[in-house]
Amino acid sequence: MAATIRRVRSSARIRQIALTSGWLLVFLISLLPILGIVVGLWPPEQVTFADLKPFLAYQGLSVSIFMTLFSAIFSTLVSLYIAFMVYSQYHLSQRLQSFEKYLAPLLSLPHLAIALGLVFLFSDGSLFFVDPGLPRKGLSTLILAIVIKEVPFFLLIFSAIGRQLPIKYWLLQGKALGYQDYRCWWFLVFPPLLKQSRLALLAAAAYTLSVVDVSLLVGPNIPELFAVSVYRWQTSFAAGDQALAFWANVMLVILLAVTVFILYAHEKLAHGACKSLATQGSRFYLGKINPIFTAWLPMLGLLTAMMVVVFALWSFGFNWHSDSLVLTQLTTKLWQDEWLFFSLPLQNSLLIGFFAGLLGVALALLALELQRQKGKYWPDYYWLLAIILPQLSMVLGWQIMHIWSQGGYHSGWIVLSHLPFTFAYAYLVLKGPFLNVEPRYELLAASFGYSSWQSWWQVRFRLLLPAVFTAFAIAFSVSISQYIPTLMMGAGRVTTITTEAVAIGTGTQQDLIALYVLLQSILPFMAFFVAALLARRFRGSMGGNSVRDY
Amino acid sequence: MLEIIDCQIQAKTWRITLPDIHLNKGELLVITGPSGIGKSTLLHWLLGNNPQHVAITGQILLSGINVTDLAIEQRRVGLLMQDVYLFPHLNVQDNICFALPKTPQLSSKKQRRFAAMKMLEQIKLAHLARRYPQNLSGGERSRVGLIRALANQPQVMLLDEPFAALDPSTREQMGTWAFQQLTEQNIPSVMVSHDVEDIPSSAKQLCLADYYQTLEQIKAEMSDD
Repeated sequence: MAATIRRVRSSARIRQIALTSGWLLVFLISLLPILGIVVGLWPPEQVTFADLKPFLAYQGLSVSIFMTLFSAIFSTLVSLYIAFMVYSQYHLSQRLQSFEKYLAPLLSLPHLAIALGLVFLFSDGSLFFVDPGLPRKGLSTLILAIVIKEVPFFLLIFSAIGRQLPIKYWLLQGKALGYQDYRCWWFLVFPPLLKQSRLALLAAAAYTLSVVDVSLLVGPNIPELFAVSVYRWQTSFAAGDQALAFWANVMLVILLAVTVFILYAHEKLAHGACKSLATQGSRFYLGKINPIFTAWLPMLGLLTAMMVVVFALWSFGFNWHSDSLVLTQLTTKLWQDEWLFFSLPLQNSLLIGFFAGLLGVALALLALELQRQKGKYWPDYYWLLAIILPQLSMVLGWQIMHIWSQGGYHSGWIVLSHLPFTFAYAYLVLKGPFLNVEPRYELLAASFGYSSWQSWWQVRFRLLLPAVFTAFAIAFSVSISQYIPTLMMGAGRVTTITTEAVAIGTGTQQDLIALYVLLQSILPFMAFFVAALLARRFRGSMGGNSVRDY
Repeated sequence: MLEIIDCQIQAKTWRITLPDIHLNKGELLVITGPSGIGKSTLLHWLLGNNPQHVAITGQILLSGINVTDLAIEQRRVGLLMQDVYLFPHLNVQDNICFALPKTPQLSSKKQRRFAAMKMLEQIKLAHLARRYPQNLSGGERSRVGLIRALANQPQVMLLDEPFAALDPSTREQMGTWAFQQLTEQNIPSVMVSHDVEDIPSSAKQLCLADYYQTLEQIKAEMSDD
């Protein structure tokens, strides 16, 4: 018995040390976004309020800011409403299971690939061009690309929230009281769903506010979107540009605050409207167009497939303007010529994505487990800061710290700079399944003599395994599509498929652009494919479908 | 043998002081009482899963050894609940393998699978070995659950309304079968039950309500003293 007590004491000490270092690690990673913002927004010595004047007087600033804010709010809200309509068509139906299965691969296509896919398919000179078509560079193309990408994102968020709400019974009650199906959806389901999607809405809007790669390639030119200006000033050495960059970063944070305010006001308004319509017993016919949205997902699948096919055909030298459109013209010449150039970026992308994804998932699991042991879960917005705060200002702060540390330009730094994002998305994906693991399984394992470590590993982790695979695929995709952190931390010396795709995308060689964007799309798709295969191999109570995000 | 000594369940407004309990091998103790009185709480305390809303004091002795301060995994106490909680990622055979104790005779996967299969054969459920818990009927799940708990060779078995979810005819059959298994294996058992019909005639009974005192009663008693 004395030996047992001694063993218990020493294992308690090891446990204590492990817990403390675990918390320390998780804090470090979760605090990186705040640290980045603070350092990034710390005024350089030479900046004064006098510099605010040239910033505010900068030509086209107000239009640029307005367009940026408009695209962020508009694309987010349009995506929200489309996603809700689609969700109301699929929820409770037999096809729900299959729709969730297909969402993840649809989501895997990076924003950039969707944006360029639209250009390749619908803009001037393309296959399906119908006058006036989509502009090669313009706000409409950008907003459309973002809506296409965000709708599946919101669908996953809704289905995760929906699992915890008694939607079935609300609809039943509503219908028993004589309301039609679509009115029940708007009166009874929409308000709580909207309230619980706050963070997702904010994450989507914040992304659009500070996205550089997509804005650069398909956003309008004169004036350019605000994020592009911010990035240009940040990287410029011209006199006065650093001061402009500082005030522009301040403006980005103000824009984020305005976005929060508008989204909150929208929520209040929508709540009020639903409530007043419901209390009046009002009739409105918006819901009648719901059936149209049933077609959204098949159409999206078709569109995605078309984009990939068009990229592939372009990269294999298919000539759209030739008189005889025959597949025998296809050649692998471009792939052979380019192999020398894309093999290193491809290898970098794979390695960085793998490690950033793996560490992101491991840290998310650690953060969840530590909170579970404490018996208290911190609010989500703390863990998701990396995807809520403006990326440009945050990464600027990291870049400054990186320069201070004189760390050099190793891919390890890029992995570290991707980690807050992969961590945040992995956390978002894993939290639901993690909380849903029945604690009595571990209690039973303990009753069979398994220690808490053993039962965590053999029971909780095993039950979560399918969700862990999906989380990894999502984290990997997030890492693959990172542009700003890769470019700024690697100082252009660590190239990935994404940085190359953007660099080439600003040029005019259509077939080369297609090749790189195709590569950028294939990597996440492969990750999802492998994750789905593995998830099927390992059974778990928490299906791999219970994903929430990108 | 299980002994429970000086056991007291203390809540904010009430207290239960239990008499000392001695349970020999193969004996069954049934704890009854109205819902919310702390039956399951007492059972979880015996398991080592200390409740948060009440304080339980007392000593638990298993074969003469005080296990009160040991963690769940060091007690070797079996548990069967209403929901059997077979691990969904393991098939029936591997669920039993998971519970088998780690001994030199049961060190390899092959030996463990063989032992699990033998246990299933003994209860004529070998045909379920490869099935996953989701594909079992309620009765089958309960049987596998009990066999899994017994596979761990527990020093005492705790049963928390184990058959409440079964339909009446299966419940009766399952009850008879389960108590027979426990008696055959000479394991002392403690069962919590709502249903008096569940209880075999040979069982000892403990009704918690008989030992329940409100705060007022305790105060009155103290002032009498």
